[in-house]
Amino acid sequence: MSTATDLDRPAAAPAFQQVSTNRKTRNRIATGLVWTAFTAALLPLVWLLITVLARGFEYVLTADWWQKSFAGLTSRQFGGGVYHAIVGTLLQGLICAIIAVPIAILVAIYLVEYGKNSRLASAVTFTVDILSGVPSIVAALFIYALWVTTLGMPRSAFAVSLALVLLMIPVVVRTTEELLKIVPDELREAAYALGIPKWKTIVKIVIPTALSGIITGISLAIARVMGETAPVLILVGYNSFINYDPFAGSMASLPLLMNSERLTTNDVGEARVWGAAVTLILIITLFNLLGSLISRATSLKTK
Amino acid sequence: MKTKRTASLLGMVAAGALVLSACGSDNNTPTDTGSSGGAAAPTNTANVECGGKTALTAEGSSAQKGAMEAFVAAYRQKCNDQQLSYTPSGSGAGVKQFTGGIVDIGGSDSALSASKGEVEAAAQRCQSNPAWNLPLVFGPIAIAYKIDGVTDLTLTPEVTAKIFSGAVTKWNDPAIAGINSGATLPDKAITVIYRGDESGTTDNFQKYLKAAAKDAWTKDAGKVFNGGVGQGANGSAGVADALSAGDGTIGYVEWSYAQDANLSTAKIDSGSGAVELNAESAGKAIDAAEVKGEGNDLALDLDALYASNTPGAYPLVLATYEIVCSKGYDADTAKAVKAFLTVAATDGQASLVDAGYVPLPNEFQSKLLTAIGAIS
Repeated sequence: MSTATDLDRPAAAPAFQQVSTNRKTRNRIATGLVWTAFTAALLPLVWLLITVLARGFEYVLTADWWQKSFAGLTSRQFGGGVYHAIVGTLLQGLICAIIAVPIAILVAIYLVEYGKNSRLASAVTFTVDILSGVPSIVAALFIYALWVTTLGMPRSAFAVSLALVLLMIPVVVRTTEELLKIVPDELREAAYALGIPKWKTIVKIVIPTALSGIITGISLAIARVMGETAPVLILVGYNSFINYDPFAGSMASLPLLMNSERLTTNDVGEARVWGAAVTLILIITLFNLLGSLISRATSLKTK
Repeated sequence: MKTKRTASLLGMVAAGALVLSACGSDNNTPTDTGSSGGAAAPTNTANVECGGKTALTAEGSSAQKGAMEAFVAAYRQKCNDQQLSYTPSGSGAGVKQFTGGIVDIGGSDSALSASKGEVEAAAQRCQSNPAWNLPLVFGPIAIAYKIDGVTDLTLTPEVTAKIFSGAVTKWNDPAIAGINSGATLPDKAITVIYRGDESGTTDNFQKYLKAAAKDAWTKDAGKVFNGGVGQGANGSAGVADALSAGDGTIGYVEWSYAQDANLSTAKIDSGSGAVELNAESAGKAIDAAEVKGEGNDLALDLDALYASNTPGAYPLVLATYEIVCSKGYDADTAKAVKAFLTVAATDGQASLVDAGYVPLPNEFQSKLLTAIGAIS
């Protein structure tokens, strides 16, 4: 009596032939939860974008919207544009970036390249952490107390930029620090081996390696501070005409324009607020795109 | 490789600079100015001496926001591109920013108060010269309401006081029905909306109730609403929003805001018949305003006006003052302030009706122009 041996048959039956209903259910529940969380996170975002675009997009389509201010129009007259506010937003963001970026990058270089584990470095890291948790209203009030009350300077766009600097520095320090850390030590060592001094290694090797990431970080930080509302509410007055002088007079910016036109309860006010919201979103999107474009252009070609 | 990278960076910077420097313009031609009507505005175009500081700053009462916009438009037209920026942050803030020397002109619904030390603080800001209260804007306060199906409502000062102090709580209360014969009022609760923040409008409204409703209003006047009923809303815009969002709501808000939000406004019957709120009836009322300030300080006493029952006059009006230094500005600022106020008191008055305000009576206008001329 011989039995034919089936060579294809496994010697022992597989241990997990059947997944138990219990595990299946748990898997389904977990998947369901993940999807719910995903939708819950995405839904308000999409909803917000659609609402803003649906309500405001029609107003930004005219050429006047991008080239003119609201000067000489009362709150019952349609027309005009937000050029004055765009100028203000960009100017304040630019001044802030000019002050904040060099400081922040140097701080990050100190932390990664020179400070390492020194006591000063950990103190600086701690301060930067605290600074990044400071609400924008506190930064604004601090600058008001310092610049306006103590130093007796007038409220101005420059004061806004100073408050934005406080908000921008920690963001840029953090991203730059992380990016400098991931530059491989082998690169530095190779440079030292060739007899290149430390500063030159940093300038020519470390920073160019991390540059594309740093630029992305900076452009994200600029986009973030441009939408800040608290500093502009406290540190500068709104005006409806173009002002190029950051040191004197009131200067409009998009968040400030939205806040003050919110008090216009008619159709004209609605048009201006929604239009400005769309404009701000477009400008910030543009900045993010520009940031990734520049970072792509500056990234090192491997090989 | 390297040059290519630098070149692309430069290109982007250049493109950015181009976008930034693209020519913007303040030159707007308003498309529509709405309908005009009501009282004729004083139109004598004064000789304005333009010049001085190119951008003035002013801050204060939100009640005069629309009027200031009209003034600024007229000022720009008259004085080639001279500007003024107005921040409507409320009367309290306006006085503070003025006495703090942060803005050139303060705007407030109540004259500077001596008991709060405002007069003294303002004098200090003006290098030890008195500050003047110049009532440049008169705006009616509307008793605005929203009840589905009701667009015609008359109130007496007494009934208004009862509604805003919680003594009358239903729309079909006999007190209201008695003066609105013919109207079908629903059996709905009255929701009172008041200004939650400190406001000159509240102050004037309560002063009105005190003067006109006599015994029916037992509460105090003041910038805080003392009625003890209803829901607070922030700012004139907030009140207008809350009114139009509800059903069976009633509140007090500047006429321009009631117009913007398409709210119905109640007629007031002070004893000589129901008077509708329009530019003419409000203009008729402000003739009764009396000056209580001395010399060129034109602070007003509105109590007599509030208590009056002139036929065809709508007595619930509010005056917004521009608070300025009589002396003590630097030469540039003084020149521009004078130019702006002169334009506001003359050419600027023409467009006020469209903006929901009442033009100055002629007698007042000449007093104001004298005061403005005396600023140095």
